[in-house]
Amino acid sequence: MTSASDEPARLGRRQLLRYAGGAAVFVAGAGATARYVRPFAAGQVEADSHLSQITQDHYMFLGGTDGWIGLPPTPPTPIHPDTMAADKGIGLTTYIFGFRNITELDAPQRALQKEKAQHSAPLFWVNQFDPNDVSTEFVVDIENLGLAVRPDLFDEHSLHWHGFRNVIPFFDGEPTGSVAVPPGTVFRYVYRPREEGTYMYHCHVEDVEHVHMGMNGLVFVRPLQNSNMSLYPSGKYLYNDGDGSTGYDREFALHLSEIWNESHWADAHIQLPEWSDYKVDFALINGRTYPDSVAPAAPFPDGWGEGPTGTVVDSGGAPWTKPYMPVKTDVDGVLVASPGYEHLQYQPATALVRCMAGERVALRFSNLGFKEAAMTVDALDMRVVGRDATPMRGRDGTDTSYRTHTLNIGAGESFDVIVDAPPFSGGTGSSGLGYDMYLLYNRSFMRANNLAPGGFGGQATEIRVYPTSANIPVQTVPNT
Amino acid sequence: MQRNAYHRRQRATAAILALGLAGLVGVVGGPSPAPVAAAGEPLVGIVCSTGPTFHLETDADYIALPDGNTAYMYGYKPAGGAFQHPGPVLCVQEGDTVTVTLTNTLPRDVSIMFPGQENVLADGQPAQPQFSTPGDLTTLTSLTNVATANGGTVTYQFVASHPGTFLYESGTDPEVQVRMGLFGALIVRPAMGADYAYNRADSRFTTEANSAAANNTEEFLVLLSEIDPFLNQAVENRDRNGASSNFNLDNYHPRYWLVNGRGFPDSIADNYASWLPNQPYGALAEVTPSDDPALPSVGHPFGGMARYINVGTENYPFHPHGNNGKVIGRDGHPLEGPGSEDLSYEKFAINIGPGQTYDVLFRWYDAEHYHPVSNPVPVEVPQVANQTFGMFYSGSPYLGVVGPQPPGNQSLNQCGEYYIISHNHALYQITSWGVNMTGPITYMRIDPTAGSSCP
Repeated sequence: MTSASDEPARLGRRQLLRYAGGAAVFVAGAGATARYVRPFAAGQVEADSHLSQITQDHYMFLGGTDGWIGLPPTPPTPIHPDTMAADKGIGLTTYIFGFRNITELDAPQRALQKEKAQHSAPLFWVNQFDPNDVSTEFVVDIENLGLAVRPDLFDEHSLHWHGFRNVIPFFDGEPTGSVAVPPGTVFRYVYRPREEGTYMYHCHVEDVEHVHMGMNGLVFVRPLQNSNMSLYPSGKYLYNDGDGSTGYDREFALHLSEIWNESHWADAHIQLPEWSDYKVDFALINGRTYPDSVAPAAPFPDGWGEGPTGTVVDSGGAPWTKPYMPVKTDVDGVLVASPGYEHLQYQPATALVRCMAGERVALRFSNLGFKEAAMTVDALDMRVVGRDATPMRGRDGTDTSYRTHTLNIGAGESFDVIVDAPPFSGGTGSSGLGYDMYLLYNRSFMRANNLAPGGFGGQATEIRVYPTSANIPVQTVPNT
Repeated sequence: MQRNAYHRRQRATAAILALGLAGLVGVVGGPSPAPVAAAGEPLVGIVCSTGPTFHLETDADYIALPDGNTAYMYGYKPAGGAFQHPGPVLCVQEGDTVTVTLTNTLPRDVSIMFPGQENVLADGQPAQPQFSTPGDLTTLTSLTNVATANGGTVTYQFVASHPGTFLYESGTDPEVQVRMGLFGALIVRPAMGADYAYNRADSRFTTEANSAAANNTEEFLVLLSEIDPFLNQAVENRDRNGASSNFNLDNYHPRYWLVNGRGFPDSIADNYASWLPNQPYGALAEVTPSDDPALPSVGHPFGGMARYINVGTENYPFHPHGNNGKVIGRDGHPLEGPGSEDLSYEKFAINIGPGQTYDVLFRWYDAEHYHPVSNPVPVEVPQVANQTFGMFYSGSPYLGVVGPQPPGNQSLNQCGEYYIISHNHALYQITSWGVNMTGPITYMRIDPTAGSSCP
């Protein structure tokens, strides 16, 4: 538990962060000393020196641990819902390994996140590296918090930024060709993301197991072209296209993953699954199955909310500028569920796509399931402008973008698409709820259900198109 | 037919790495026969059997799998030669008239299909699907003309009119015979030159002919396949014991996945590693850093080339770490428009369909040019006790530098070279019937350039 004496320090740091953003302070040193000192020791109670060195919008601190998530409980089988989850009391069903965003937690809080992992892993985003400004490099620390349910294991963790080009093994996170992070230690990765687009990340230690168990998520890189309003009015782009063809008004990150109940049960009960028996019991978007996928995201942190000039602002109207989703945590640093969705406490991200007629909507897909997904939206075209963080252009500039209503997304692939929101149908819309509803689902039907009789679900979400009169605020944070 | 050491420098001291791995793969080692490599064979990279006239023979024998199991396999081999899995890599020139004579020693009819080749002749006549009762479409016995069981022969002939990467495989009972191992790779080199994939200037890759610094041919094969051991066991039982097959193909369920006929860690052993007498082809890619496009040339102007083939029955998403692949050709056709527009695309996951081939250029260089003195990594490297070292890690973030190792650590790193993984990302497939982190995994070994102590 956090002691009362920690409280002032934490508040103080938050105040500091709020007002100190922008100035990168590098640690000076003799000779070939690193720009960033080695991370503090895990669990060490100190003045969070990791944050004082780095501009807050170029830093992420991830904790790797285990935890529990809530998936549809029916039909019950001997291994699902997991009996060990029953005493959690909030509808949790499934054991996971996972990451948590512990950037804003102090050391005692970080230690309390053991067995509090989330799925999917926290979404974060990075500005493209500016070769003229070394402070635009991005720093990620990983602390291996250990596994509460499996104290017999000493599994390392690592961060593999999947698709990052021409990276040295030291920063690649593949543990055989480089190093991994043992329990109780922190490792620091530094990235200069020179190519914009949609990527993904995962732990690469024992990755058959760790990836599937939940240590996977989406990360994207914003192009340097952003804020140029002459090519597209919003000044937001998927790529440095030079012509505005990838400009958009709203963006949504949709990360695909899968759950094979047997492997999750086996890990909780000190068993080993036979991986060649792999099958998909639950297929997820952003860690949830439909209709949970369209349930609200976890609450914003105290003091932050939707405002007239931006969807996520503080009480003074200042927009959220940190490179990850704003998520509320309690006094112990634990995630807080939206009221009525307690079973989603550790699945904080929504996959709902919300827009207004006439807007350009960017959808960023990544797939760290093991099966190919056929993501389909009927009655709307998707314009594929990028794949695998690469714009659809030949080396001679030939435009290779194309329109489709189904994306076949293989394991480890990403797609960047743009949807033009169609005119509103009028009245209360096709849903009767004030918007037109377009389902986005996996056309491999076995992965668009929740195993329940007749139940549509799984890897599915909704695109809700509102009339322009709805005046949905300008988007400042993805997936809002 | 003779094997040809295609443009590849020899690296005799690589045996050091092989010895290091011998302990690692001891579970699959049996008696150690003499290496079967002919003098002059490359230790890594593609082993070409040069044509255009080939005489292949079928045979059956066992291969070693990463979990210690063995599998009974069929294979094509050079006539009179030793059994091998997969079949020889047939290399021909665009425009060659290719002649392949097949002698069949197996107790069942066998054939060869050449997907992507046009106007294939069988014994001088157009190759045709075979029916036991001509005119009765329910009696199809083979997708093409066969060499009959127990000694039959057939000769196929075609003009290799398209450069690119192709598969050859059995067309007879293929759901059994291809899965049993009757397949191999066919490479057609373009008229433009052996260091091009296609007749396009932008399809060039590194060979010793065009790389002053590397003296290397950086061309590699990634041939992906799968095995259901119960199918192989049923075939073995029939062939060797006369038992009737009780294998229901509806129950086909792969338990092993391989690259170039091997599972990791065997996959990165040298070509013709002595402990893998029936699996001659390694999958390690060995390169030196290529020129960074943003910097002046250092004499390694082109990248490497990987030829992917999927012999399996579902898509394989292959993920090369560290540098993306630029897909410049598929199924023996360059990706270009009617006006030669470039339609190539870059991928970090190359999702290859059954029977498809992908021709992929890649280029490894350190985008940040980290150097221990002039450009150190911007972090303090944690002390050794706070890192877990991988078996290929040098102990240093820097290429060509060997750093301190944890006490008792047995590193397989020789000289500070880098190892960057490349693997199937349907991760349940990088297992071998219970042994995780095996199967279709391979590495790219990046040797330091001048001044290094690398063998």
